[in-house]
Parts: sequence; structure tokens; C-alpha cells
Amino acid sequence: MVNFLLRRVYLLCITALILTVIAFSLEHWTVHTQIEGNILTHYLDYLVSIGQGDFGLSITNNEPIFRTGLVAFASTLELCLFAFLIASVIGIPLGVFAGLERNNGLDYTIMSIALIGLALPVFWVAIIFTVLPNAIGWMMPIDGNISPLFEVPVVTGFLFIDSLLVTEQYQFDAFINHMAHIILPSSVLAIFLISEIIRLTRHAITMVMKSNYIKAALTKGLTRRQIVFRHVLKNALPPIIYQLRLQISTIISFSMAIEIVFSYQGAGMWLFASIQQEDYLVLPSAILIISGFILIKSILIDLLLVIISPIKRKSLYADQ
Amino acid sequence: MLINNEFNEQKIQSPLQYIWSIFKSKNITVIAMWAVFFLIIVSIFADSILPYSHTLQHPEMRLLPPYWVDGASVNHILGTDDLGRDTLSRLLKGMQLTLLGALLITFSISILGLIIGATASLMKGVKASIMHHFLDALLTIPTLLTAIILIILFGVSYENSLLAVSLSLLPQFIRGIYICIENELNKQHVIALRLDGATNLRLLRYGIFPNIIEPLTTLLNRVFTMAILEITTLGFLGFGANSEQVELGYLISKSLELVYLSPYLALFPGIAIFLIIIVFNIFSEGIRHSVIEGEE
Repeated sequence: MVNFLLRRVYLLCITALILTVIAFSLEHWTVHTQIEGNILTHYLDYLVSIGQGDFGLSITNNEPIFRTGLVAFASTLELCLFAFLIASVIGIPLGVFAGLERNNGLDYTIMSIALIGLALPVFWVAIIFTVLPNAIGWMMPIDGNISPLFEVPVVTGFLFIDSLLVTEQYQFDAFINHMAHIILPSSVLAIFLISEIIRLTRHAITMVMKSNYIKAALTKGLTRRQIVFRHVLKNALPPIIYQLRLQISTIISFSMAIEIVFSYQGAGMWLFASIQQEDYLVLPSAILIISGFILIKSILIDLLLVIISPIKRKSLYADQ
Repeated sequence: MLINNEFNEQKIQSPLQYIWSIFKSKNITVIAMWAVFFLIIVSIFADSILPYSHTLQHPEMRLLPPYWVDGASVNHILGTDDLGRDTLSRLLKGMQLTLLGALLITFSISILGLIIGATASLMKGVKASIMHHFLDALLTIPTLLTAIILIILFGVSYENSLLAVSLSLLPQFIRGIYICIENELNKQHVIALRLDGATNLRLLRYGIFPNIIEPLTTLLNRVFTMAILEITTLGFLGFGANSEQVELGYLISKSLELVYLSPYLALFPGIAIFLIIIVFNIFSEGIRHSVIEGEE
């Protein structure tokens, strides 16, 4: 276990180092800094300043890029997590049904829904969703993360927590307002996630149902319900988590596109606005923030996988 | 000596014929196959079947709805936009750029990725581990972010957006190919071929490639889908096509401000993207199934 952990941390360090090299060369390329003297000492200086959390100042509003980027990325994460919550509540039961009733009418219906969800371009669905409340006659906010009426100070960057911290001022109004703002963008993202989760769950369930211990359980005389709850669900979980881990960068890509349609103040909007103002210093910082998050998260998920399934302990490379 | 030519029951089908016979036994996959051919042919010859030029403006007929709605003109089947340009022509032109661009990307990625992935999997030692770590680092960056960064380095144009998308999708494909070949290398028939003294090229041609067709179709399908989505996303964000080269994502972004006046303008390009992706998905899923069944 300790050996595994050491190996993962070592891999993380190497990957992080390569990422800083990429970010460093990108910064030199886009900002056209004149290099005087040794490039290695420049790189070391860069590493030291990154270590202190100093990514430079934005040329448009003179604020530290690192802090702005972290706050923006926190709202992206909030969006992703909320969408993931919706998607797993809807997707996992559907996937389990499809996997258990394989090649059945129900299975075909669920899989067609999943196929349609994967084929829809997310930004187009987002546009449809911005028009939809107006067409149906609902009152739903379609831009921003929170109404400008509420002045919520940035403490953690996650608006759900921050809006709870100002309850003595606004009661729960800020929280509910933020909830109303996040529902439409996250349901767009959830459409993609639901189809992905259905596909993965169905595949994992069919793989487990083929295995010998299920046959053994059947011969033992357990009912179908007992088999599903005792054996199938527990053993189908690790491959689903493992595959979803590989999808996280796609999910972040999609959520960045969705944010731009809904003008939701997240990482996508931050990047888009900065690029339009030709503030190219944000690009290396965005790489470092987003990839750093993905790296740390992949280690955490690896640890989780090792805890719930001992087979994974032998794998050497962090196969992203 | 008896020669049995009358009854061809004993004739053994070649693997390809067998896969084809399984493939054509399912209606939906055959329909999807013809739809794929139809889409490709339409987009190749789009310039000659366009009813109007995609930049021709009809100032007297602006924002027309499609022909089945009241107040429409039969000359413009799917209506016109705010400058009176024919929607169908723009849609066909956009489909040409998006679909052919994605096919080009898939083709070039598959060749480059196969070469790099195969060399990486047959390499050992320091070179392989450097490659591995580099790929690990590249794979942590989201593809959209990579594409946007590359676009900014190259300059904004449709051709550069194709280049950026293909470079951003390449690491995923290489890693996929690498894992497939690595799984195959530990099998007994490959070891037997090695012991016979097969060179690496022969090993790949006869030992490995016939056995990785099924994961390869999945990978190619994934690359194609992601390519379409990314080209259109870049076009939508304004990093891809310009006003001369209408591309489906660009069409959607231009219709965004008119979405309350004429929602059809935003509706049709999205449906076109959806149809392209779903038709290609069903087609490749059909191939995958028949390959799996053919192998069993």
C-alpha cells in the first residue's frame, strides 16, 4: 500500500514537472518575454514563483491571476459536481436496468436515449435550454451564477458555501437564487453525463453478470434481487469509477463550453473573456490550475479504487 | 475423382465475407451505412447541388421560416437568415466543411497515431518511459483548452482549427492504441510469432492488427465524434471559421442573437450535427458488433 502510494506520488511529481515546462514555454511564446542569460535559471525562478502561488498580474484589471483563476475554476467544479449528482441519481438506476435486462425492449429504449444524449452537441443543447423557459412560460434565470442583488463575499470560491455564510443578511435567498441559476446549465451537462453513466453502468453490469461467482450464487439458490444487491452492484462499481476518471477532462471541456453560452462565471468564461482582451498570461495559469486539479483528483480516485478493490494495487502506470 | 462444384455448402467464407454477412443481416446498420455514404457524397458535391451560393443575399426576403410554416417562400425550402441568405445552402456548405474536416482529422490521426503508438509499444527502456510521462502530462489538459491554446499560437482560421483539433485529440488516440497493442503483446500467438523470428513489422501486420480491429473501431468512432464536437465548438466560440467559410458551429453562433426572432436558424445546424454523429455512431457500432460476432 505504501509502495503503491509512493509510486503514485513519484509519477505525479514527474507529470507536474512536465506540465510546468509546458506552461513555461507557453508563457515565453505568447507573452514574448526577452530572455537574458540562462534559460534554466529563468525556469527555476518560474518554479519558485509558482510555488509561492504567484502567477503574475492580469494586464486588464491588475489582479493576481492565480486567485481569479481559482475562484473561476471553483464555480466550474461546482457546476460539474451538481451535474454529476443529477446524472448519477438518474443514470445509475437506468444503467442497472439496462444491464440486467440485456437485449430487451427496455434495454433498447434506454440505450437509444443514451446514444441520443452522446450525439447532441452540448453548446447547442445549451442554446435550446436558454430559449426553453421562455417558450414554456417558466421564470428561470439564464445568465450568470447569482443575481447581482446579492453581494456575496468570496471566502471559499464555492458559491453554495459562500451564500450559506451570509444567511444573517439575506436568509436563504442567496442560496436559493444560486440554485435557480445553476439548474439549467447543470442539466445540460447532465444530459451528456447521464448517457455516459448509463453506457458505463450497463457494460460493467453485463461483465459482472457473466462471471462465475454469479453462477455460483445462482446455484446456491439466491433470488435475483439478493444477487443484484449483494454481489453485482458492489463488483460493478470499480470499473465505472475508473472509466469516469478518464472522462473528467472531457466533462470539464464540455462545462467550459456550456458556461460561455449561459455566461456563467466559471473557468470557461474567464478564459474566453481574457483571450478576447488579449490577456494571454491566463493560458499557462489555466493549464496549471486545471491540470493540477485533474492530477490530484486522479491520485485521490486511485486511492479510493485501491481501498475498494485490491486488484488495482498492481498497476504501475497512472493510465489517464 | 469427384469434383464438387454443384453444391457450394462446403465453401468456407473468408473472415471478411463472414463479417459482412453478419453486418448486412441487421437492417439498422445497413440503413446507417447508406446514410453515411449519402452524407459523404452530399458533402463532397455540396458546391454543385447548392440551390444558391451560400453568401448570396436576397434583401427582399429576410428571416423567412421554413416552407411548412405560414408566410414562407417555396424558393427557400428551409427559409433565410437576417441578410436573406438561403439556410439550406449554408447548411450544406457548413456540413461539407464540418464533416469533411472531421473525416480528414480522423484519417490523419489514425495514421499518425498508429505509427507512434506501435513504435511506442514495441520500444523498451528510457525512450518508452519518457514518452509515457510526456503523454501522461498532455492527457491531463482538457482537449478544448489544448485546442484553444494551439489556435491562439497558430492564428485564427478554419485550417488552423482543424490542425489544433487533430493535435489535441492525438494523445488520447496514441494512448488508446498503446493499451490495445500492449494487451495483445502478452498473448501466446504473438509470443509464438516472436519465437519464430518475426520482425516487428511482420508481428504488427499478422499478429496484432487483425486482433485489434474491434477496439480500433471504438477508438476511431470516439475520435470522429470528438472531432466534430470540437470543430463546431471552436467555430461556435469564434476561433474557427470566418464569415466566408460557414461551418455548423459558426452558423449556430451567428443565429444566437436571432434565436427569439427565428429559432429555426439555430435549430437546423444543431440537428445536422446530431444526425451526422448519430449516423456514424450506429454505423461503427454495427461494424464493431459484426467483428465481435465474427471472431467468436
